[in-house]
Amino acid sequence: MPTAAARQAKRVPRGFERRELNVNGADVVLFVGGSGEPLVFLHGAGTASGFHFSASWAGKYTVYLPYHPGFGESPDSAAIATIDDYVLHYLELFDRLRLDSVRLVGLSIGGWIAATLATQNSHRLKKLALVGPAGLRVPDHPTLDIFRLKPEEVPAHLVHDLGVLAPYAPDPRGPDFLEFLVNDYHEMSSYGKLAWTRPYDPDLAKWLHRISVPTLLLYGDKDRVTPAQQAETWAGLIPNATVRIVKDAGHLVLDEKPEAPQAVLEFLS
Amino acid sequence: MTWQDDLQFYSMHFMPYVHLPPDQQQYDSLWVDFSNKHYDPQKGYELYQRYFREMVLADQLGYDGLVVNEHHNTMYSMMPVCTAAAAALIPVTTHAKICVFGVPVTFVMPNRLAEEYAMLDVMSGGRLEIAFPLGTGMEYWSNSVVNPSTARAKFRESVDIMIQAWTEDGPTSYDGEFYNYRYLNVWPRPFQRPYPRCYVVGTGSPETIAFAAERGWGYASVFVPIAQQVKTFDRLRETMPKYGHEMTPDKAMANTIVYVAETNEAAEREVIDHIKYYFTIAARTTPRFLNPPGYISLEQFRIRAGAANKMHGGFDWDEMTKNWRVAVGTPERVAEKIAGWCEEANSSRVICHHHIGDMPHWKVVKNMTIFAEEVIPRLRPQAKRAERPGSNTLRTLAGAT
Repeated sequence: MPTAAARQAKRVPRGFERRELNVNGADVVLFVGGSGEPLVFLHGAGTASGFHFSASWAGKYTVYLPYHPGFGESPDSAAIATIDDYVLHYLELFDRLRLDSVRLVGLSIGGWIAATLATQNSHRLKKLALVGPAGLRVPDHPTLDIFRLKPEEVPAHLVHDLGVLAPYAPDPRGPDFLEFLVNDYHEMSSYGKLAWTRPYDPDLAKWLHRISVPTLLLYGDKDRVTPAQQAETWAGLIPNATVRIVKDAGHLVLDEKPEAPQAVLEFLS
Repeated sequence: MTWQDDLQFYSMHFMPYVHLPPDQQQYDSLWVDFSNKHYDPQKGYELYQRYFREMVLADQLGYDGLVVNEHHNTMYSMMPVCTAAAAALIPVTTHAKICVFGVPVTFVMPNRLAEEYAMLDVMSGGRLEIAFPLGTGMEYWSNSVVNPSTARAKFRESVDIMIQAWTEDGPTSYDGEFYNYRYLNVWPRPFQRPYPRCYVVGTGSPETIAFAAERGWGYASVFVPIAQQVKTFDRLRETMPKYGHEMTPDKAMANTIVYVAETNEAAEREVIDHIKYYFTIAARTTPRFLNPPGYISLEQFRIRAGAANKMHGGFDWDEMTKNWRVAVGTPERVAEKIAGWCEEANSSRVICHHHIGDMPHWKVVKNMTIFAEEVIPRLRPQAKRAERPGSNTLRTLAGAT
């Protein structure tokens, strides 16, 4: 088994510190790195490929990388089962860490949580960046139902260049394979609580006009989970939205192209 | 009371659709996403005709119960609505209990299922028995409007609502996590008071064992290895007294595959391909479909993912006859094996699969008949044996060869 330090090195940039917090009953693990005003990143449904894209952000901001309850190293919390529960959980986390004027970045379901939080609490935010966000119903370009995929079909739906995921692919004969499967089942179970019946909130579109902070919508042009064409619908509903499409990248655009985290950094600055 | 005092035999049928395309091997699952374009209703009609005749024969041969159950999106069973199958059996049978084993209650409204079961109980004059399954993992992919992550909690609440509907004079109300009822007042009420005999169906998971123990209900094990069935009943014997109930032999329902013929060799030769069909074709599915997200705990997932699944797609005959409840051979051998299992598990309820896989009609009739005439009398106490007319089938077969 790899050491804790080796496991951490695989997930987060050098210099990040691992912290454990209890947020009003929910145990969470988060990584914190860098210095400056706060930037919070909310991850997507799978965390196996880590957070290395956030290295450049830490040069300018204090970057918080929390695991959602029920994902990665954060255990389930009995109180948290819906997107609204996650929104309130993150407001409590902001309170607990005394974070205001937060630069909030959300990927996929993290984007769903971030957008929902922003419809209710834009005043806690400075800026909002949504990267391939889930949560919106776009009938002409629907979000992929990942539960329809066989396990072997998943990687090619997440990235345009499969080589990006190679360092994180488990060896089926290796000692860590079972734990990889267990973690994956755990995260899919937590994601299933939110999206088993449908991967969006039918009411979200009604309230996106309430997002009052500058918002970036960032996509890979080859995104097969949340197609880049969804950007138009989001941007039509959020008053102050900018769209950026990165060429030759998929849903995990932040991992695939250095220009993607760079675009987030420039937008947030 | 020992298992011998009240030994009963139930005959169970899955009613599979057996006319598969020649390239069926290319499908890794015959559940959930195996296309219904392969279903020919004309052939389905003929199979229903035949399968119902087989169940009627079981009643005529004196079996104590006829068991039907429910699966979805699969050729494994043509009973996605098992209460419909039960209703069809009622007017054409006379004494066997009609055992609906059963509808996954998470997929329907609980008041509606309380009504359906009460109807069957009244229509049959009190012959209904019920088992409550959570539903296999596959059913949750096929009924994906229901979230598997809350299935166990919803299951418990739904059963509570049904029991309230059957035991309290209506109208009552119910205020729960999943359902609110303003006027719970089911018509008809069950024929049997307070309600029909109930079991929990399961593989022996800690959750289903706890559920049966709390209520003092029987446990109908699905077809899993003997050791797993025995362990389940042992756990129930330990746990039930904590809830003020006693685990009696009639609450331990053993699930068996049986086949009887003139000789051990003939029995094996006649049945082995059908058992192989059942495991390698009808039950074939994928780990993904077996364990939808949130359906089992991480501890259970770790156990399941760490061990190869022997039930859904594998087949090893020697292993199967040793470690699973498969009794194949002469009446003596089959009776001896079943007596051993009942003794070991202290079980007095034996579910027999007389039809298995793609078995043709003549073998089902032969198996069911010889079992009734030659195996059951060997296992019942002497007093009951005298009531039975005795068998001519084997003597006739011997004369014919």
